[in-house]
Amino acid sequence: MQTRRSFLKFGAGAAAVGALAPLSVSANSSDIKWDEVHEIVIVGSGFAGLAAAVEAGKLGAKDIVVFEKLGVYGGNSTLNAGQACFANTDLQKKLGIEDSAELMVQDQLASGRGYASEELLRHSAELGPYIYQLTKDCGCVYREHIINTGGTSATRSHQVVERSGAGFIRPMLKTARSYGVKTKIRHKFEHLITDKDGAVLGIQVRKDYHFGHDDSGKIINVKADKGVLIATGGFGANVSFRQALDPTLGSEVGCTNARGATGDGLIAMLAEGAMPVHLSFIQSGPWASPDEGGFGYGAGFSLYNFPHSIAIDRNTGMRFMNETADRKTRADLEVQRRDKDGNPNPALLIAPKHEAQKDPSMANVLKYNVAWEFDSIEAIAKHFNLPEKTLKKQIEDWNTYVKAGEDPQFGKRMNMSTGIYLTAPFIVQRLWPKVHYCQGGIQINTNAEVIAAKNGQPISKLYAAGEVSGGVHGVSRLGGCSTPECMAFGVTAARSMMKA
Amino acid sequence: MKLINTLLVLTVSSVIALSAQARDKRDYHEMVYEQGCKTCHDQGMKAFPSDNSCLQCHDMAEVAELTKREGHEAKQNPHDSMHYGQEAPCMECHGEHTKKQAICMDCHNFDYPKFK
Repeated sequence: MQTRRSFLKFGAGAAAVGALAPLSVSANSSDIKWDEVHEIVIVGSGFAGLAAAVEAGKLGAKDIVVFEKLGVYGGNSTLNAGQACFANTDLQKKLGIEDSAELMVQDQLASGRGYASEELLRHSAELGPYIYQLTKDCGCVYREHIINTGGTSATRSHQVVERSGAGFIRPMLKTARSYGVKTKIRHKFEHLITDKDGAVLGIQVRKDYHFGHDDSGKIINVKADKGVLIATGGFGANVSFRQALDPTLGSEVGCTNARGATGDGLIAMLAEGAMPVHLSFIQSGPWASPDEGGFGYGAGFSLYNFPHSIAIDRNTGMRFMNETADRKTRADLEVQRRDKDGNPNPALLIAPKHEAQKDPSMANVLKYNVAWEFDSIEAIAKHFNLPEKTLKKQIEDWNTYVKAGEDPQFGKRMNMSTGIYLTAPFIVQRLWPKVHYCQGGIQINTNAEVIAAKNGQPISKLYAAGEVSGGVHGVSRLGGCSTPECMAFGVTAARSMMKA
Repeated sequence: MKLINTLLVLTVSSVIALSAQARDKRDYHEMVYEQGCKTCHDQGMKAFPSDNSCLQCHDMAEVAELTKREGHEAKQNPHDSMHYGQEAPCMECHGEHTKKQAICMDCHNFDYPKFK
């Protein structure tokens, strides 16, 4: 096995630097043997990376490359519910929904609990209608129905017909290739290559990499003429990293992320002196099921059904939260559902079949044992061993809230469930949060430039977009708000590189 | 001490013998083994075969046709899935010398009864 350094033809001085700083490579461009040279280098093939590739292609870039670490494209982006919050779209107008970028920013600031970046949120929200159109131009097809997600004051989560991020990723990948973008799997980003002033010259990549085999493949040096975009996603699947930041997130907590979400890009940028922001704000998804791995089918089912369903504590037989509160509020409450010995006792989401059956997610959760059908309240109480009387009373009370259009118990927004009564037969899914999203990452500005910790200034030719960037959402991100932000900053990075 | 050395030699040699001969393999690939390891190991014996290696004999479109699913399950065709189309390389899910499971199973409780 050849070492990384043996591939670099350093001068004596630079070699000494390389030996002392194993996480980054600093050299004069002329000293490095470049294996590949590209105009724009993008690391990661999720929403951020592909949006950047498409935008750079549109702007006339001639030589763009996208490196993907895994054997398949799309990373974590292809494994979600395919929702994106946009404010002020033609579809919202058609459906009579009044909304604005400003309202979207205010909703997100509230969920961010004082830590979100108003500037970055506004930049992203204002690009929303452009991103919506860009995805449609790529061939993404939206449903005619817009979804309510937790913590929003207007209905704005647009969803592709696949009900999966794959409905964005595959058309965007195809479009990027139509612009001549080179896309390469099994290329793992290892280090940034910088000059002595810290400007990014290119990257080291492990080519022919097989996930889980750290020494597989070989190192190549890739030069980036206009810049490098790091769009490598979060670190939710890196248990030791996330647990160091939040001790409650050990290996017994599930994770919705793709296996590649290990934070490599983040770690490499930290090594290069990028500013870390809010790394401990790690979000768990309140819609996850403990009865399958990853994101699965359960998330789609509960996302659709939360507005007109109730979440029940198995000890009390009663509700314990506003089922459409923001993610952190719900996940924090769900994880407190315990039996008398303190072991997890996941809450039950009880949905009316007459409404649940309107969404294809119901067939999926029933077929794959992620949810079950019950004919009566008694049957639920018996199967899950919970107090029947209180459950019965709770469901009666809930139906009076539906009728009145007001939830005195938890203040849920009831205009999403008008006329949808909770009656038998019922569909029941268990709820247990899974690590889903890292609000933290490295700091960027509204040009998607990465900020240096030592002086607050942009690091030359280094850009970041998507989950790897931090500080945008603050303490808790709203559902459907990462996808548009990933794409907005991917597009922004492409524009910045093409202008520079 | 002598006994320990003898045991050590025996253990080491049996490990070597195992690694050379008794690796997991699929019987129906016997013909390929007869043609030599490099038939698949097109990037040298210490590296993983390239993603084109299996495709010397197998055609992804044909395999996709063989595992086609109907109706509700149409998008669960592992060789032509909603997430990855026909682009998922064989080795993401299949191992010749090591047991693997389909990457779909990271998130889904699918049933692929004929999976090998």
